[in-house]
Amino acid sequence: MIVSKSFRWSDPRSITAMAAALTLSLSVQARSDEGVLDTLQLHGFMSQALVISDDNDFFGPSSEGEGSFKFTEIGANASLRPHEDVLLAAQVLSRRAGGDGGDASPKLDYGLIDYQMLSDQQRTLGIQLGRIKNPFGFYNQTRDVAFTRPSILLPQSIYFDRTRSLALTGDGVTLYLEERLPKGVIRGQLGLGAPQAEDDLRQTLRLDRVTGSLDPEQSAIGQIRYEHDGGRIVAALSAANAKVHFNSKAPGLTDGDFYFKPWVFSLQYNQELWSLTAEYALRRSGLENFNDPRLNFDTTGESWYLQYTRRFLDDWQWLVRYDSLTNNRDDTSGKGFEASGLGPAHSQFADDITLGLQWTPHPSLLLAGEYHHVDGTGWLPVQDNPDPSETSRRWNMVLFQLSLRF
Amino acid sequence: MARLTALTLATVMLLTGLSLAGTTATAQDVPVLLVAHPDVATRHLTRDTTRAIFAMRQRTWPDGQAVRVFVLDNDHPVHARFAKEQLSVYPHQLQLAWDRMVFSGTGQAPNRVRNQEEMLERIANTPGALGYLEREYLDDRVQVISME
Repeated sequence: MIVSKSFRWSDPRSITAMAAALTLSLSVQARSDEGVLDTLQLHGFMSQALVISDDNDFFGPSSEGEGSFKFTEIGANASLRPHEDVLLAAQVLSRRAGGDGGDASPKLDYGLIDYQMLSDQQRTLGIQLGRIKNPFGFYNQTRDVAFTRPSILLPQSIYFDRTRSLALTGDGVTLYLEERLPKGVIRGQLGLGAPQAEDDLRQTLRLDRVTGSLDPEQSAIGQIRYEHDGGRIVAALSAANAKVHFNSKAPGLTDGDFYFKPWVFSLQYNQELWSLTAEYALRRSGLENFNDPRLNFDTTGESWYLQYTRRFLDDWQWLVRYDSLTNNRDDTSGKGFEASGLGPAHSQFADDITLGLQWTPHPSLLLAGEYHHVDGTGWLPVQDNPDPSETSRRWNMVLFQLSLRF
Repeated sequence: MARLTALTLATVMLLTGLSLAGTTATAQDVPVLLVAHPDVATRHLTRDTTRAIFAMRQRTWPDGQAVRVFVLDNDHPVHARFAKEQLSVYPHQLQLAWDRMVFSGTGQAPNRVRNQEEMLERIANTPGALGYLEREYLDDRVQVISME
């Protein structure tokens, strides 16, 4: 399934064509095999946020006028089981987070075939082929679906937008094994494939003004997840080794290589009315092999958060979270960064205190609001704030979001 | 005005929560039974397998037949009791597990039914079906699966 770049949600012809194609394929399937069609599921979601900040911009011009409405997520998926061991699934996602409207052009979010070669009371062993969402921490696989998030924004220290494309999906193969133990379930997953490397990564690496291209290379991601006692305690360890080659077209500059080797430790404790969640990440990344030493670097960043969510009155939930990001463990204050003339010290960290509220008056409707008080601009999107020297160190942000799904 | 009444009611219910707990105990004595289509060859399931099937992580019966899972709405009292008592999970955890699967392409959502009458009909008419019912809703078109 390939979605052309020129497609727009607002284009009525595209929508009609898609609806017609869907109806046609449905009716063909209905005639050929009613049993298989019984397993067809269609789901979707849509969310629209309003972002208001006092200083600094987040996802559009949030510090001007009445704020920014440029945070929209729309997705639709279909899944089908043509055979008891086989699952076919694909999702198209349109997401705008600041930037211009072109960013919202729909993309294939995932598209895969999943075959379970073994499934009994003890274990399940399966393989997935295609574009697969990376199991990175607790939230990465469904990070764009508001209903699966505890807050409008996921803890940005780990789920930031700057290298989002790289972390999001891989094109390749994933093997998974789920083993049922006497007191819990352990699931291991290993994926091999090519990550996505889009403009966000290029901008973050400051290669956006160097002619050339980013070409994803063979990368690996793995996760081990243990759920104890029906999910009362959940622990996970995720690790990845993502590689992207930079093909230089700039005169006098050789090719270079980017690597990203994150580790994420995740822990959650669940009770009927509350959950306590913590994640800690060590993110090693760097550029190497450029003949211009100013481009090469190797740093290890550190991220962690602690989050408490409390459910009340059946369909309400409040949240409090402390989230901390350090770009470089060898320069936690950012003073070294500033002294080298690279930018303000406060761009090298971010400590975010978040208070949030969610209300689900109907299973298909979610209303949310939250407040962030942030010290530092470590995860502030570069595209919203092109000049780091014009950012403020301490800033506040309020978000509201309406989400629907089917 | 209706909202205010609801809020007042909720507050009263919270305050009197302790005394109400005594009366709900009687309803909880009647177990919710695991029920399947009559053609299903499996007679027993372990609690872990049952949980894996309702969490939509396991897609087949132990003998390889495709399983079709039916559930009531999250706020249906029988669903809440089944989840908590038979599976030892909270309904909100199940919902989150389904959402994570549906929106990451790793699985499908269970089939929703509105009430126990519909649950009975769907299980009786869907090969490989698995669901749950209170004893009074059972008839001979479905079979009860025992759970260790």
